[in-house]
Amino acid sequence: MQLTFDAEVERFRAEFVAFLDANMPTAEEATERSRSSAHIPAWARRWQRLQFDEGWLLPGNPPEFGGRNAGILEQYVHLEELGRRHIYHSFNPQGLGIIAASLLSFGTDEQKHRWAVPILRAQITAALGMSEPGAGSDLASLRTRAVRDGDDFVVNGQKIWTSGAHDADVLLTFVRTDPDAPKHRGISVLLIPTSTPGVTRRPFGSVVSRDDLDFNEVFFDNVRVPAENLVGELNRGWHVANGSLGHERTLLWLGFSHRLDDLLADFTPVGPLDADQYATLAMDALALRLLGSAALARAARDEQDVPALSVLKVFGSEASQRHTERALESAGPAALLHPARTAPDHHLRLDTDGAGWFERYARSFAGTIAGGTSEIQRTIIAERVLGLPRS
Amino acid sequence: MLFEFDAEQRLLQKTVQDVVAKECPPALVRAVADDDADIRPLWQVYAELGWTELVDPTETVELAIVLEELGRAVDPTAYLATTTWFAPLAPGVAQPGQTGSAVFDGVTARPDGQGWLLDGTARFVLDGDRADWLAVVTPQGVFTVPSSAAVATRTPVFDPLLHVADVRFEGVAVTGGNLSGADPQRGRHIALTGMALTMIGACRRILDLVLEHVRTREQFGARIGSFQAVAHKAVDMHVAIERARALAYFAALTIAADDPRRRVAASMAKAAAGECQSVVFRNGFQLFGGMGFTWENDLQFALKRAKAGELLLGGAAEHRALIAKEYRAADI
Ligand SMILES: Cc1cc2nc3c(=O)[nH]c(=O)nc-3n(C[C@H](O)[C@H](O)[C@H](O)COP(=O)(O)OP(=O)(O)OC[C@H]3O[C@@H](n4cnc5c(N)ncnc54)[C@H](O)[C@@H]3O)c2cc1C
Repeated sequence: MQLTFDAEVERFRAEFVAFLDANMPTAEEATERSRSSAHIPAWARRWQRLQFDEGWLLPGNPPEFGGRNAGILEQYVHLEELGRRHIYHSFNPQGLGIIAASLLSFGTDEQKHRWAVPILRAQITAALGMSEPGAGSDLASLRTRAVRDGDDFVVNGQKIWTSGAHDADVLLTFVRTDPDAPKHRGISVLLIPTSTPGVTRRPFGSVVSRDDLDFNEVFFDNVRVPAENLVGELNRGWHVANGSLGHERTLLWLGFSHRLDDLLADFTPVGPLDADQYATLAMDALALRLLGSAALARAARDEQDVPALSVLKVFGSEASQRHTERALESAGPAALLHPARTAPDHHLRLDTDGAGWFERYARSFAGTIAGGTSEIQRTIIAERVLGLPRS
Repeated sequence: MLFEFDAEQRLLQKTVQDVVAKECPPALVRAVADDDADIRPLWQVYAELGWTELVDPTETVELAIVLEELGRAVDPTAYLATTTWFAPLAPGVAQPGQTGSAVFDGVTARPDGQGWLLDGTARFVLDGDRADWLAVVTPQGVFTVPSSAAVATRTPVFDPLLHVADVRFEGVAVTGGNLSGADPQRGRHIALTGMALTMIGACRRILDLVLEHVRTREQFGARIGSFQAVAHKAVDMHVAIERARALAYFAALTIAADDPRRRVAASMAKAAAGECQSVVFRNGFQLFGGMGFTWENDLQFALKRAKAGELLLGGAAEHRALIAKEYRAADI
């Protein structure tokens, strides 16, 4: 056990910090705001591209994909430094973390260069089409159908929740290619450019505001997709799904950790009840960091324990939700204000920009719902960590 | 920060688990509770393995590993009091294999000639009735005395394995030679961390027993562990344990490194262990059904150890108050 990283890792950190200090976009440059999770303002495109070119975008990748072959501990300090500065390495996080990552794991060389590199360089953006009206937690029951016809697949069906789809250039779409196989074995993955005839995207407002447009319904009406856009093997889409969602899991907890750190700064306790809650918040923030770094150490030894990461997700997402609620209720009528300033002004701190306490609380439910709900995570932990019988 | 046991620490943990399984099995714990069985041979084993000598502060993580496993076994000896209450306050005083405890408050030292007279009664002193030595914290300093200098009376408590005592000092004469020079604050941090680990160990035992139970017990034609209402309660126990464990080992690490954050870290360890035992006690008792309600079931020993720990050295709420006050300045 050690309280600090080795000198080598700290050297890496110092080098990255120097890069950030020299290149981080200024407040004057960063005026245009991102309007969805697949909309990257011009200044942010330049910023992402610079990170790619200098090997700082995803340091774990090889140089041709925006990295420098760094190890997991270096990837951690990289995200830690970004988080400390409230800065995103991309304003299309799912494009970077899920879609490009899936292509790099499962795609052909041609797909990597034609699609993954432009996503990483912020030339195009991408959205993730997994969920459907009838397939949420039970993703494997998805019904959007793709039928092979000559050199194409013909796609019919509907996706929902597809974050940022209306601003995205391409959708990583999970489709049913074999309706007769058991449900996990008849799914495939297609890259579908949103400009393809027959694709209709309908953004709809979130609980936060009618005008907060990130969610989409996406309809596919006889959409012809070239067969070369198949990602991974035919009918092996479930494998890709597990990989896609697994990609960022080792470090997913860090997002919750940053949210808890934000709360420690933004929530000022008044009175003994708040103080009591604040102490719990401080403990949760530290415990999450400790548990996360233990998971990291295991990953660094190649002993990754994926189900154990569900513990971090449940704990981190529920802790930030609980403490955000406390901050909301502690603020009294001031928490009615919307929009509102609940965090210090910072041009790169877009997640809390103008967000009142209600909005911050509402958004905390993304952590307990998206990417596998807390209930589903608990079932995973029960079965795969604690060894309880399947329900 | 790399928060994980190194290879040597993992080996120690495994060794302790093996020794404890053999030397401190549930049957022995039950025999102590029911028939007052002799625990001296067990203490002898700890001493021979060097566990009673794990008192150098730099070895706090190793001590923590032993404490957690002994908590899990519901150790019936005076190991916790000796290594975490007494030893940090009285380095070098006891002979190897001797036991000790500490009086943290309730006793005064009044000047008398060349020395002082100790007066007062301390309540709920862990193992105060069976320690060879006592360290007495007073505003004038920490004095160490043989336990025969005081009058100790064991207090009847809900936990049949727990020894706590009223310890009475009536004009006990001490001199500069009895002053230990130890830092009572640091001693307290070790005591808090040690108690937290003991509680966490007991909580792990409760979860072990619960998992075993719900994997085998059948109702409605199914193993009850397959019901989500049951499984998810077990998960909440696991999460609470993981959280508390992380904070307890962090506290041990700051003590080993003599890092000033140890003050807040030790309170976090104790508070988190307290919150953990609350969830684990409640869910653990509940998931056993009527079986958990019986004297025959060994679950009771771990339940009681965990709950008793919350009641000693300040409860979770008290420690949260300290954390809230000092967190921002502590730079954690
Ligand atoms: C902010 C946000 C962004 C999202 N972005 C995307 C995106 O970009 N792309 C995409 O494909 N999807 C996206 N999603 C969808 C997300 O993946 C689903 O919401 C999630 O999988 C849950 O599915 P559902 O909403 O249909 O809820 P349901 O599955 O209907 O669940 C409703 C409730 O029932 C519980 N439940 C369901 N099954 C069980 C069970 N077996 N045991 C116990 N409880 C159960 C759930 O835990 C939940 O509490 C997003 C969601 C959110 C909130």
